[in-house]
Order: sequence, then structure tokens, then C-alpha cells
Amino acid sequence: MRRKQKNIIVVTLAVLIAVLFLLPLVWMVFTSFKTLSESMSSSAILPNVWTLQNYIDIFSPTSDAPILLWVFNTAVITIIGTVLVVAIDILAAYSLARLQVPGKKIIIGTIIIALTVPGIVTLFPAFYMFKSFNLLDTFIPLVLPYTASTMGVFLIYNFLISFPKDLEEAAYLDGASQMQILRHVIFPAIKPVAVTLGVITFMGIYNDYLWPSLVINSNEMKTMTLGIATLIQGSNFVNPAGMMAATVVATIPAIVVFLVANKYFVKSVTNSGIK
Amino acid sequence: MKSLKWLVLLIASVLVLGACSGGNGASTKSKDGKIQISFINGFTGGDGAYMKKITDGFNASQDKYEIVESQEKEHYTKYKSGDYDLVVIHGNNLETYRLDGMIQDVGSLYEKAGLKESDFHKAGMDLAKLDGKLYGFPIDIHPLTMFYNKEFVNEAPKTYEDILKLNQELQAKNKDLYALGVPSTGLVEFYMLMIAAQNGVDLKDGNALNFAQPEFADALMTFHDMVWKDKVSPAGLGLDGEFKTFMKEAESGKAVQSAVALTGPWFYGAAKEKYGDNLGIAPIPQIGKQPAAYGNAHMLAVSASVKDEQVKEGIAEFVKYMFTPENLINWADGGQAPVHLKTIEKVTAEQDKYQIAYQNSLQFDSFVAPPQVYQYGEQIRYMNEKVFSKLVTTEKLTKEQLMKELESATKKAQQIAETEPK
Amino acid sequence: MHKGTSTKTWAILMVSPFILCFILFWLAPMFLGVWVSLHNWNLSSGNNGFIGLQNYIDILTPGSLYNEAFMLALKNTLVFVVISVPPLVIIALGLALILDHLPAKLKPVFRTIYFVSYSISVTAVSAIFLWLFNENGGFINNLLVSMGILGKPINWLSEQPYAWVSVLIATVWWTIGFNMMLFINALDEVDPSLYEASDLDGANGFKKFIYITLPQIKHVAFFIIIMTVIASFNLYGQSRLITAGGPEQSTTTLTMSIQNAVFGMNQLGVGSSMAILMGIIMLLVTAAQYFMSYRKKEVN
Repeated sequence: MRRKQKNIIVVTLAVLIAVLFLLPLVWMVFTSFKTLSESMSSSAILPNVWTLQNYIDIFSPTSDAPILLWVFNTAVITIIGTVLVVAIDILAAYSLARLQVPGKKIIIGTIIIALTVPGIVTLFPAFYMFKSFNLLDTFIPLVLPYTASTMGVFLIYNFLISFPKDLEEAAYLDGASQMQILRHVIFPAIKPVAVTLGVITFMGIYNDYLWPSLVINSNEMKTMTLGIATLIQGSNFVNPAGMMAATVVATIPAIVVFLVANKYFVKSVTNSGIK
Repeated sequence: MKSLKWLVLLIASVLVLGACSGGNGASTKSKDGKIQISFINGFTGGDGAYMKKITDGFNASQDKYEIVESQEKEHYTKYKSGDYDLVVIHGNNLETYRLDGMIQDVGSLYEKAGLKESDFHKAGMDLAKLDGKLYGFPIDIHPLTMFYNKEFVNEAPKTYEDILKLNQELQAKNKDLYALGVPSTGLVEFYMLMIAAQNGVDLKDGNALNFAQPEFADALMTFHDMVWKDKVSPAGLGLDGEFKTFMKEAESGKAVQSAVALTGPWFYGAAKEKYGDNLGIAPIPQIGKQPAAYGNAHMLAVSASVKDEQVKEGIAEFVKYMFTPENLINWADGGQAPVHLKTIEKVTAEQDKYQIAYQNSLQFDSFVAPPQVYQYGEQIRYMNEKVFSKLVTTEKLTKEQLMKELESATKKAQQIAETEPK
Repeated sequence: MHKGTSTKTWAILMVSPFILCFILFWLAPMFLGVWVSLHNWNLSSGNNGFIGLQNYIDILTPGSLYNEAFMLALKNTLVFVVISVPPLVIIALGLALILDHLPAKLKPVFRTIYFVSYSISVTAVSAIFLWLFNENGGFINNLLVSMGILGKPINWLSEQPYAWVSVLIATVWWTIGFNMMLFINALDEVDPSLYEASDLDGANGFKKFIYITLPQIKHVAFFIIIMTVIASFNLYGQSRLITAGGPEQSTTTLTMSIQNAVFGMNQLGVGSSMAILMGIIMLLVTAAQYFMSYRKKEVN
């Protein structure tokens, strides 16, 4: 009996909080169906007059907000960037944790220091470097700089040094090559950390706003995050309903990807070595 | 500079070899043999489409040149770090780009394009002429504009007394209706320089802005009093508050509305969509001692790096095309007021169609240009972001307190001015 | 040693892609940044010569333009760190505890709801909250006035402390899910037998939390705190887009100030020096936290 009461209280609380979390999203969706004048003048959550005009505007060929292209760009750079970072970091972390890398202590010390240095320190010089090579406004600066992140190496390295070596040694004695050990022994073991790293990297690239705003010039090359920022800061007037329609279109793919990946991410975080 | 580049080159050459197929080099020819001219501007809002009509029209009109236009929100940053031939620079920034050596004297291009100074309204020429030379082609002037809602006010207010009277009437009707709204951020630079101009205050002092003038403090206090003493504006309107309030619908205790907005002409489209024929437009009223209009302008300027004669020919062709009434009228159609006299004539002849361009062209005669100083935007930043907001949100602000803020704003402006390249 | 290639060669081969990327995209820009910070470098007119530590001296000399900009931004950033870290950690823990006490069937549903806002980009979050917090007749004001919670509308974005509250609410809504997930993970790993033992002792829920749960999740909590401090230090998108640094520059953060030094004032040298100073400050703060948590670990 008491248990049931307690349950009701907790569920009620959970529902109330859920409402708070969902309210902004619900508002966003409803506002995107408002007319311009209503979105400016009324603050009721439901539109008086429902309109698809905002969505029609977005997808019209003359729109100055090519959202689908932005979503596509974002998909390209987040996927390539994440795969690259995870692969590079796994190799490096394995090597540092298990093999005889010359200057290992210096490398690991540098990694830890680099971990706390904020991105802004390298931001403008990196911008200058890409500029002097005429690489601005391409995918290259949108992908490659993330590979310098030391977070992944640090996470996986930490996981590996607390992970027993027995299996690897057994495989080694059986005559497996380094690559085979990596593929069949190490990779399954570090999968949860690798997925966590993948998610963190993905979100990092996806959310980055300042860096793309420096290195991207043309509307066609923008990421979704940058594109929406330019809508907010447009030098001229952008109506809230139109902005929300753009946000909805930009956010839906992210939420879908998220809902699909959610299960894996939950598992991976639950199993990962962040302790 | 050189040695740094080599250092960078050395370190990063591996990257380029591995990852890049090479930049686009220095070629200015398109595939079909046209000479390409790159053109960057900041028209990311509704007016972008109208400029595009002009550039597209030009590209279709001949087969020798091609304008490659990019419209960017952060177009100044991109211009500084990129490689463009043509750029649109605001009237108040032209001096900075001249002193930084990033734009060139276009006197000879005027001749090539068959244009004379007298083809433009004087207000525009004042902006284009720096140190006795021409540094740009004035496209338009966008002054502070007055919108009014005919539902509440039949005739546009012309003086501050009219505004006071209007406010009394509206307040008697409904406590949530005000004459106008004073924003705390956004367009406030227009507000400050407008009131300076209407009180005959010149902020330029040598190469810096001097805000710490008692007359300017008095002038600014007008806005404080509009909110706190005369209460013609509700308090606490935030970014773009003057326009947002104009677009609201009064709702008791929740939302306030204003009958008039002193705002930027770029909001015209949205206002028209909401109010239709009830939207009135007029030159701004006289709030200070004398009538004066203030605003900014778009100038077409040529990068200092353009040396190629063929490119210059192309630019002259483009300029000639743009400053033809049939073509520039597109810009008026987008709500901007061209300063090209022949285009103004066309606008005046069809003033119902080009309502806002026409009303704003009426303000040209009393237009006061922004002071020409180095890094104008940075010099006035503290005023824009801090002082004005304090002015209209602090109920008990005294003139002495304001003067103190104006002094620190001036100190900052002077330090910015000192960074001027020698 | 081993057939084919030696382990040392493998070691170097495997670590070198990372080392290469690290040198190209971190170390090289880093040195370049330090080098630029020692020069009078203007974005428009280029390098105007070596000036030693002059940029740093300018930034640290009271009264100068750069000093005022840097110190104001540093103060603002620290304010945000102080007001944001406790809610971002405590609310995350609270949500994790609520989820922990939910019936198993409902857990995934609510976990997903609380976490879904994390998938939205910072600019989209800002776009939403910018309009939700609109002063005159905005949705939040209207809701609160209608419910009788507020007597009259609040100027959320143009008055302090509300501007900070707005940025904070947007940040909590957006990022809390990630911290929550880490706490859920930690709570799951608490040994159930510890709770059973305390049940036998007749301990109540609060006591169980203090004496069993908290010590068990301490390490994760430290990790979360350090990560949150770093994230709050780097505040940029929300304050740039929701409050635009205002009112009266009170939400102008270090990153915004540095960006303005470079792209507004054209002072690449000064901006680089500011960035390096910010890096040093963050290094010190993180190191201090690390040592504090490390020493506590030792004591236990």
C-alpha cells in the first residue's frame, strides 16, 4: 500500500517534469504553423489560423535558407568526423596503453594538459592556417580539426589500463597479429566506450557554432547549427513562425537519429568506464 | 608575415597533400570564358532577393562578365578574410575600410561607367566622398522611418507635441496602448544619432567620437523622459522593442501595443503583411530642436586588390547597369530608398507602388550623415550595448550619472581611434 | 620477436595518425597563437612587428580598453559558472533519482523525454528560448501571468538577474540530459546488497541516500562537476543568440569578448593574448578541482 502511494507521487512528479521538458518543443511545432502576423502578435500556444506557408517558404527554391542542404552538410561532416575521430583515437589509445611507444609519458602528459585548454586558444590560429591554404569554405576545416581532440584517447586509454590483459596475452601466445588482437579482443571490449566517445564527438561536431561561423562563407556550405544562427541574427527581419518552421525541419532528423541511437547510447554509458 | 607563412606551410603541407585537391587559384574566368567578378554583401534578409534580381539581370544582359554574388550575414568578416572584388559597405564603415587600405578610389570608375557626382543626391555623395576622393557608389540610404497604425492614428505625428497628444488619447482608451516604443537594444544607434542631429550636436572630435558633451546628454535624456516622465513608451522593451511592440496586440496586463514605430525600413514587409492598408509611413517627427533624419547607407565599394583592367572594365559595366532607373528600381521595390536621382524620379512618379522608398527619399534633404571616423562601429559599441540601455531602463537616472557613462564611452572611443593605422 | 612486424613498429604506426593530427590541428595552432600574441597583429593591415609581452601588459593594466573588456567578460563568465554548475549537477542528480524510483516499465519513456532536448543544436535551442522569453506578451510571461504566478510580465532578456535566469533555464533544458545519463549509470552500479543491509537496519530513504548512494557515486559526480565547469566556462552560443551579450554587456562572455577583439577591433594579437590568458585561467581552475577531488579520494 505505502509502496503504491510512493509510486504515484514519483510518477506524478516525473510527468510534471516531462511537461516542462516537452513544452518548448510543443510550442516550437505549433508556432511553426502560425501566420507571420499571429506569431508576432499573439502568445497563445495554438494557432488561430493554421498555415503551411512557413514550410512552403522553406522548401521554395528561392528560399535563402536551404535547410535540406544544411541537414545534408551536417550529416556528411558529423559522420565522417565521428568515424575518423573514433578510429584514430582507438588506435592511439591501444598503442599507448599496451605497446611500447617511444616518449609515452610525454605524450600522455601533453594529452592531459590539452584536455583542459579551451578551444578558443587554437581557434583563430587554426582559422588563419586554413585561410592561408585557401581551404576556407570547404568540408576540410569542418572535419579535420576535431581529430586533434584528446578526449577520446584519454577515455579509451583510461579504460584499457584498468582492463585485464589476460585475453590479449592468450591471443598473442596463440600467434594472433596485432591487428587481429585489436579487432577480435580489444574492439569488442572497448565498444561501450567507443560508442560513448562516438556520441560525444558527434554532438560536439553537430553543435559547433563558433568554428563553422569562421571557416564557412557560403550559404550552401553551412551546417544546420550555423544556418539557424544566421536566421536568428539575420540583418533583416525574420518572423518567429518562419524561424520555428526552420528549426522544426532542422531538428527532426536529429531527434530521429537520437531516438534510434538512444538505446545504444544508454547501454554504452551504462557500461562505460567513466568513473 | 612571410616567415610565418612558411612555418605554417611546412607544418601543414602533409595535410594538404593528403586531403585536398587544391584551391581554386587565381583564375577569374568562368567555364564559358566570362570574366568573373566576385561580389559580397550582407543582404541576407528579404532584400537579398532584390539585389539578386539586379545581379542576375546584369549577368543575363551581356556575355563578357559574370558577377558571382554571395550574400552573407557576417559579410565584413568574410570580406576581411576572403578575396572579393566588390563589396557593399555601410556608409558609416567606409572610412574604416579606406584607412585600413581595403578599398580603392573609384573616381576613374565613375568616369568609365559614365556617372557623375551630380547623378546622386547630395546626402549619398557626402557619404561616398572621403578626403576629397570618391570611395564608393551610394546605392541607398535607409534612414530611421516612421510606421503608424491608421487604426489608432489618422495623421502621422510631426512633432513631439503630437506624440504626447496621441499618447494621451490612446491611454484614455486603453492602458495598454502607447504612442510608441523605445527599445533598449537593437536600432539604438539610429536613435542616438538622430537625436544628436535634431539637436545640432556633432559627435565627431578629431578622429574619435566625443559623447561627453552636455548638449548630447540633454538630448539623450529625451529618451529617458519618453519612458519615465512622459510615459509615451512602455518601459523595459528589449531588442527591437519598437517594432515588436508595434506588431503586438494589446492584451490587458499581458501585452502592450504601440500606434507608432520609429524603426528600420527593412521591417516594412512584415508590417505590411500584418496591417495592409492600415499601415502608414512617414518621415520621422521632430523630437529635438530642429528636424533632421539619420540613418545608414549601402555603398558599393571596390577592393583595393582589384588591379586587373579587365576586371575594372567589368565593374564599370556592372555599375552602369545597376545605376539605371529600370534596374535600380528593383532595389526600391525591396523597400530601400535609392539615392540615384533618376531612380528617385521614377520612385516619385510611382509613389504608391514604392511607398516606403518614396517616404524615405523625402528624408534625404534633412539627412545628417554618420560621423566619418575610424572603426565607427567599435567606437560607438559601448554606447549601443551599455549606455542606451541604462538610459532607458534606469528610472532614477540623473544627467550627472549619464555624463559619467558618456565620459567612459568617450574614453573607449578614443582608445579605439588610436588603433588607426598610421 | 613476433612474426612479421615488431610491436614497436606497430606501436608507432598506430599512434602516428593521432600524433600527426594533434600536431597539425592543436600544437601548431597553439604555437602560432602564442607567436601571434607577441606581435602587434591587425586583421586588416597584417603583422606590425614584434612587441614582446605588450599585449598581455595592455590586457592586465587597469583602465585600458582591453583590460576593461577582458575583466568584464571574465567576471560575467565566472558568474555563469557559479550560478550554472550547481543546478546542472543537482537537477541532473535529482532527475536520475526520480528515474531510479520509477516503475521499470516507465523508466525508458521518461529517460528519453528528459534526454531528447540534448539532441537539439545550441542555435535551435536559442531560437526557441529567444521567443519563449520575449518580454512583451511572450509565451512564458503570458503563461505565468495567466496562472497568477506573476503579477506583471518580467523583462526576461533586458533586465538582470532575469537575463542570466533565461540563459540558465535554456542551458539546463538543453544539456541536463547528458549529466543525468552519467548519474543514472552511476546509480545503476551501486551494489544493491548495500541497500538491503541498510533496510535491515531500518534506515529511511534520505539516510540511505546520504550514507550509501552519495559515497558510491562520488567519483562520477566529480567527473561531472569538472566537465560542467569547463562547459560553463565556454558559454557562447546561448548568450550570443538569446541575450546578445546584454543587458548592458552583462552576459558578454570571454569567448564573445575575444571574438570581438579579433573581428570587431581587428586586434588579432590582443585577441590571441586574451585567448591564452583564458586558457591559463581554465587550466588553473581545472587543476585546482582535480587536486581537491584527488585529495579527498586519498583521505577516504
